[in-house]
Amino acid sequence: MLTLLAKLFHALNSDSSIRQIALAIALGFVVGLSPILTLHNIVIIFFVLLIRVHLGSFILAVGLFSGMSYILSPVIVLVGESLLTHPALTDFFTSLYQLSLFKLAHWHHTYILGAFVLGLVLCVPVYFISKVLIEKYRLHIMTFFEKFRIVQTLKASKFYRLYSSFSGDTSLIKGAL
Amino acid sequence: MARFIRWQGMVAFLVLSALVVVFGYFFAESLVKKALVSSAESAFGAEVNIAEVKLVYSPLQISVLGLQVTDKEVPTQNLFSFERATAGIDVWQYLFGKIIIDELEVSQLAFSSVRAQAGRVYADEQASDEGAQASLAEQAKDLLPEVDIKLPDVKTLLNDSNLLTVKASKQLQHSYKAEQVKLKALKAQLPNKAKMKSYQDKVKALGKMKVNSLADIEKIKTAFEQIKVEFKADQALVKKAKQQVLASKDLLAKHVTQLKNAPSKDWQQIEKTYQLESIDAEDFAHILFGEQARDHVQKAQWAYEKISPFLDNSQTEATANEVKTHTSGRFIFFKEESPLPSVLIKKALFSIQLAQGEVIVSGSELTHQHWLRGKNSLININSTANGELSLTSHFKLSQSGAFNAGGAWFVNDRWLSNTQLTKSKTLTLSLDKAQLSGKGTFSLSNNDISAANHLSLKQASFQGQANSKITQLLLATMKSLDSLTIDIGVNGELKKPKFTIASSLSNALTGAFKQQLAGKLTDFKDKVNKGLNEKLANALKLGDSQTAELLDLEALLTDTDKALADLKNSDIVKQQQKNLEDKLKNKAKDKLKDKLKNKFGDLFG
Repeated sequence: MLTLLAKLFHALNSDSSIRQIALAIALGFVVGLSPILTLHNIVIIFFVLLIRVHLGSFILAVGLFSGMSYILSPVIVLVGESLLTHPALTDFFTSLYQLSLFKLAHWHHTYILGAFVLGLVLCVPVYFISKVLIEKYRLHIMTFFEKFRIVQTLKASKFYRLYSSFSGDTSLIKGAL
Repeated sequence: MARFIRWQGMVAFLVLSALVVVFGYFFAESLVKKALVSSAESAFGAEVNIAEVKLVYSPLQISVLGLQVTDKEVPTQNLFSFERATAGIDVWQYLFGKIIIDELEVSQLAFSSVRAQAGRVYADEQASDEGAQASLAEQAKDLLPEVDIKLPDVKTLLNDSNLLTVKASKQLQHSYKAEQVKLKALKAQLPNKAKMKSYQDKVKALGKMKVNSLADIEKIKTAFEQIKVEFKADQALVKKAKQQVLASKDLLAKHVTQLKNAPSKDWQQIEKTYQLESIDAEDFAHILFGEQARDHVQKAQWAYEKISPFLDNSQTEATANEVKTHTSGRFIFFKEESPLPSVLIKKALFSIQLAQGEVIVSGSELTHQHWLRGKNSLININSTANGELSLTSHFKLSQSGAFNAGGAWFVNDRWLSNTQLTKSKTLTLSLDKAQLSGKGTFSLSNNDISAANHLSLKQASFQGQANSKITQLLLATMKSLDSLTIDIGVNGELKKPKFTIASSLSNALTGAFKQQLAGKLTDFKDKVNKGLNEKLANALKLGDSQTAELLDLEALLTDTDKALADLKNSDIVKQQQKNLEDKLKNKAKDKLKDKLKNKFGDLFG
């Protein structure tokens, strides 16, 4: 866990692409909302591994948003229920239901469809919000926080040593400091 | 391209997938076992043990070995257990969210088997329901002491002021007194003996009066007419008194008749009040066999109540228009060319081990969405271990939620042993052994049940203990029976069914009751009737003197009336007239004699 956090901080503090981190968080958001072993999640994980997104950020985002999905489950189910039981959409879903892929993906399950739709709809704002936040962090927050005594204490900790080992360039840290 | 894609990721994906498959392959059985134990424990509220779970992947088949579900009421026993259950699952449909089991086979299913060690109990749900069931059975048992032979106390009964005999005798006495007052008043007005004597004297005096002329006759006539006026007045009084006596006699006779009929009416009322003639033997058939029948119906009700929530769910799942929010979500099924129910067991076979022998339960098309395949669920039960037992049943649920079930059963030459029929403070009765035959039909439409069952017990032997007279009689009658027939009908709402139980026991008990009660009742009847007759006799005795008085008065009135009539019709005036005529005739004769004498004297003298 500490290693993953260290990787995330390293990614945030290093020159890793902001878009890669933001995309990892957005995709982690989609995967985290649904149960992990669903068809669409497997496809997303495949793409996460295939394309260059920050894996540490993705894994942390999945963990974070999985917890959030537990709290948000009534809303997720409500979305799925309203979509699947909406009279106007019955014909649409009936035609989709004839496809084995639709049934295999369990999109006729209120929780899974709700999570998938919410994930798809909200992943775009999550991407842009993440991007902005990382930028702000790099510009202002990182410098601001490193002035604090607690940060200096942390630097003496095991976590900081891990962080340093992953960054590999102490001069960069020094420079940042 | 390489800027965006990392080909090593493909390898990582494959490795990850392989890891998941390997993990699943090696740990799936443990995971399934944990999932089954967890869900079963939450469903049954007590410890569930599974010895082993085996998975076969092609075709997918899951086998559960050595399952034991602790009975939360008796943790040292299992609610049920089985040696092996195997289910062949349609993987493709499972991936689509449907549980389609081609064949389910459960072997060595047993109920209430003893556990090696007591199981843990987690929940105590339905305690109140079971309490209610127990109380229902207790209520039936508690009926026994209430119907013990309790004849009323004779003295208390006879002192009851509401008895007709008492009322009628009081009324008779009251009438006697009232009539007596009236008659006394009339009697006082009637001419007494002295008056009658004076009348007679007056008439006699008129008869003795010397009559010399017509003037004397006229004088007598006038005096007699004056006396006759008095006679008439007195005769009118006598007539009135006679009428009063007649009315009094009629009234008293009516009250006497009422009094004489009162004891028999009182007895009828006593019989009715204390239900001496309606000690209904049929109630005992209800008490003894109703408990068993109620127990079976309650089991059916329990099963129906357990199943009904799932049946209700089926309606919401069937139509995609109803909204129901669950945090875990649910599958919504849409129309398809060849629809399948969300849960379907195409074939099921249970081998159940009971104390009476092995019972085979087979089922087909077990689902809650019968309209999708247009087939009824069938359940058949057969056993040949002890006689012959067979039950065929079917049920179906329509899309609108209407539930219909029906079936028939028969039993031939099945030996029963050690079956407790009832256990209460006053009676413990068990069937030691008997050969059972019977048949019946049943149907369930939504919440309404209708069943007709005929049972016949041969070579029956009953054992038990009885503490009250009536239960002793019941026990003795049961013990004397070699064969017994019972007809049990169940009709009405499943929650409140009406039982009609007819049994040859009723006739046997009625005979036994009549025999047993005959002496006691006859004695009681004699005592009561003797008491009532005494009351009647006393009342009539009291009236005897008054009746004699009345008769005396009647005789007196008759005599007085006759005497007055005699006096009134007396010919005293005529007699005096005749006397006068005779006198005058004699006088004329004497004169003529004298004249003739003188003439003859002159002629011859």
